[in-house]
Amino acid sequence: LSQPSNPQPDVPLETSIPEGAASLESILCTEELGRRPGRAPDYEKENRALVTLAGAMVDANTNILQTFADTILEATQCDSAGLSLLTKDGGKRFYWPAIAGEWKPHAGGGTPRNFGPCGDVLDRDCTLLFKHFEKRYPYLLPVSPAAEECLLVPFYVGGKAVGTIWAIMHTDRRKFDAEDERLMNALGQFASLAYQTVESVADLKIQVAAREKAEAALLERATGLEAKIRCLVDANVMGIFTWNFEGRIVEVNETFLNMVQFGRDDIASAGMRWTDLTPAEWRARDELAVADLGATGIAQPYEKEFFRKDGSRVPVLVGAALFEKGGTEGVAFVLDVSEQKRAEETLRRVERQARSIVDSALDAVVVMDSDGIITDWNKQAEEIFGWTRAEALGRRMSETIIPAQYRPSHEKGLRHFLKTGEGPVLNRRIEITALRRDGTEFPIELTITPLKSGDAWTFSSFVRDISERRRAEEKLRESELNLRNTQAELAHMARVMTMGELTASIAHEVNQPLAAIVASGDSCAAWLASDPPNLDKARAAASRMIQAATQASEIVQRLRALYKKTTSVTASVDMNAVIEDTISLMHHETQRNNILLRTELAPSVPSVAGDRVQLQQVILNLAMNGIESVAGLDHEPKRLMIRSTLSNSAELLVSVEDTGQGIDAEHADRLFAPFFTTKPQGIGMGLPICRSIIEAHGGRLWAAKNEPRGAVFHFILPIKTPTE
Amino acid sequence: MSDPNCIVFMVDDDPLVRDSVADLLDSAGLAARTFGSATEFVQSQRPDLPACLILDVELPDLSGLDLQAELAKSGIEMPIIFLTGHGDIPMSVRAMKAGAVEFLTKPFRKQDLLDAVQEALRRDSEGRKQRSETLEFRERLRTLTPREHQVLALVVTGLLNKQIAGELGTSELTIKVHRGRVMRKMGAGSLADLVRMAEKLKISA
Repeated sequence: LSQPSNPQPDVPLETSIPEGAASLESILCTEELGRRPGRAPDYEKENRALVTLAGAMVDANTNILQTFADTILEATQCDSAGLSLLTKDGGKRFYWPAIAGEWKPHAGGGTPRNFGPCGDVLDRDCTLLFKHFEKRYPYLLPVSPAAEECLLVPFYVGGKAVGTIWAIMHTDRRKFDAEDERLMNALGQFASLAYQTVESVADLKIQVAAREKAEAALLERATGLEAKIRCLVDANVMGIFTWNFEGRIVEVNETFLNMVQFGRDDIASAGMRWTDLTPAEWRARDELAVADLGATGIAQPYEKEFFRKDGSRVPVLVGAALFEKGGTEGVAFVLDVSEQKRAEETLRRVERQARSIVDSALDAVVVMDSDGIITDWNKQAEEIFGWTRAEALGRRMSETIIPAQYRPSHEKGLRHFLKTGEGPVLNRRIEITALRRDGTEFPIELTITPLKSGDAWTFSSFVRDISERRRAEEKLRESELNLRNTQAELAHMARVMTMGELTASIAHEVNQPLAAIVASGDSCAAWLASDPPNLDKARAAASRMIQAATQASEIVQRLRALYKKTTSVTASVDMNAVIEDTISLMHHETQRNNILLRTELAPSVPSVAGDRVQLQQVILNLAMNGIESVAGLDHEPKRLMIRSTLSNSAELLVSVEDTGQGIDAEHADRLFAPFFTTKPQGIGMGLPICRSIIEAHGGRLWAAKNEPRGAVFHFILPIKTPTE
Repeated sequence: MSDPNCIVFMVDDDPLVRDSVADLLDSAGLAARTFGSATEFVQSQRPDLPACLILDVELPDLSGLDLQAELAKSGIEMPIIFLTGHGDIPMSVRAMKAGAVEFLTKPFRKQDLLDAVQEALRRDSEGRKQRSETLEFRERLRTLTPREHQVLALVVTGLLNKQIAGELGTSELTIKVHRGRVMRKMGAGSLADLVRMAEKLKISA
């Protein structure tokens, strides 16, 4: 039984009686039926009605319930009649499957089970006569016309109440009587039968309805499909023509005509066949398609060519279908694929170019998929690794070119990348060790570029064999080391030679405290030997000895550093201290030559980073040059000045100024050239070594004219910043 | 303990060396006075006693050798012992030629220094004695007449009275009288004495 999927809007689902509603008793007047004057039963009419009803029951095409409602209306001569059935959702409501008379438009409506006239009838389990039941059940107010009287009778199936039948008078034109009650009770029993009949045919009806619906849908689809195809044909998005097995083109659309550049008339009037439009080399392919059509009704799309009117060819994609399986007519869909062909050609060309670039690349190119399988391998890869392209493709990359000890980390890195998208070695140049086919390992430079195509990744690796470069680098490092050693040797040699020039001064510096020690030792012994021994004086002498010995050892230490052949050591160096130390060695030298040596040192100079001995060597060398240049002068002043200045916060400037003969213009540009010297004993290495030392410290050394006479040598050193 | 009749001066710019040498001399019973520079020494007031000078060759203002020359120029005849930290041959030759008593290389042996000091002091005493003798001779010389001066100059060349008379155009007897006066005035006991005096006074014909 079909039920309304949604309750009618005028059928609410109140389950409780609103406040102020009329009582049930006030709307009932069942006992009046017996008191009213009854009409005579019309058995003939009644029989006719029942026969009609029975006929309806056996005729599946008739709506039994509607016939039933009509029968009630006819039999009771009322204004509206109908059936109420409990819904199958547990009997919460009644619905009205069939209504006859004035209320017919309300068919499909209904009332709540627990709060309505039908419910009252089932609760009391007897026939009831209602009078203006809308007074108690206000939801019936909008159901018009209003019911003056309503006679309701329950009916049962298998002893269980399933619904009611009812008759309504909308006016007092006629009042229900005992005869009506009798009729309704008789009809009520029929209703049970009718209900069962309806139930049994309902299944059948559902089946029939389903079939009908399917047929209707099929029909609709067929109509729709035809319309759609027509639409497709006319839309001219693709070429379409219909044909038959004889080869005749029956109908074509504009697109197809444009494609082959024929007029509609050319095809219609000439009775053109599609085989005529096909170049000879494609006939065999066509026959294959025709065979498919014969077998399956469909020819899968395939590529072929058609002639244009001017004899040129148009590449197309063709698919076809028979209208009916086993028939001889069908439709063909044609797509102009010239653009695609051109694009494909371009793509192929680009690919060929790319291939040739890859093959001619200096680097080996190895492409790997996300499973770690090699998918490309160029000529250089063949040469570098010793596997041919054919051999390499399909192999695991890690097993092919990665030394065994690195494979686990490679696999791990790949998995990590596929999971997280992070690859620290990707897209940058790295140097690692690779494996040749013969098992030898060699250094390579590698760049891996991941590329996502669809859901899969490919990894392009550009590999360069850097064995040669490594060897060259090694050689360079070696020669640099040699050079550095040579430079160190030279610097040492120059230092020792400069020290040689200082011998007199150095001897003096050392002998001075020695003299004090020896003399004090002698006097100490004398004081002790005197009678009585003079202990105070002996003690004073001993204390002088200690003082002098300490002085001597300091001097020796300073000297030893300069004589020692040391490798360069970088430390924090106080340049002022270096200057003071150095001139202490030359003190005597300047005295001997009657030279005034002065210093002007910037207070609290920050440290520089460097090798103390080397920096001392530079000061020594420049100062000795200065002494030499003024020593020979027969005029005053013979002056030498050493300054330290903070030229800015990042640089320390040291200057050595003399009042000597200055630098000859002709020598100026050779001053720092190795083996250039103006001294009879010189080897010409002093200044070049000074310059290389200063430059190795990140500084600069240059010479200038001193005013009013002489030369000045400047050098700057970068100041050590606290973070270094 | 120190001998009050003589004094040793020392010039060295190194206070340790200065003090050590002074103390060494003190321990040997010699009075010493030290100076840090040549200028200090030159400008100092010195007692009139037999003395000597220990001089460092390498001095900050004036070198030891220059000071030596400087002193000679101003007539200060004080025996000098040179000390040097690094002596070379030309330097020592120059010093010795200029009259240095000794040229010692630091560090020196105590006895070498003391010997040199004794020798220097001896020389100074001698020098001082000689200098006062010459002074006496010069006083005596001043009492001679010009003629007697002439005769003295010729006598010390070894000429006989007769030859001198011939030279001066007078008689042998006159010369004999002059010669006797010269001998008496000069206080010479013999011709040899006179010759020695003349040498000291650098008298020549």
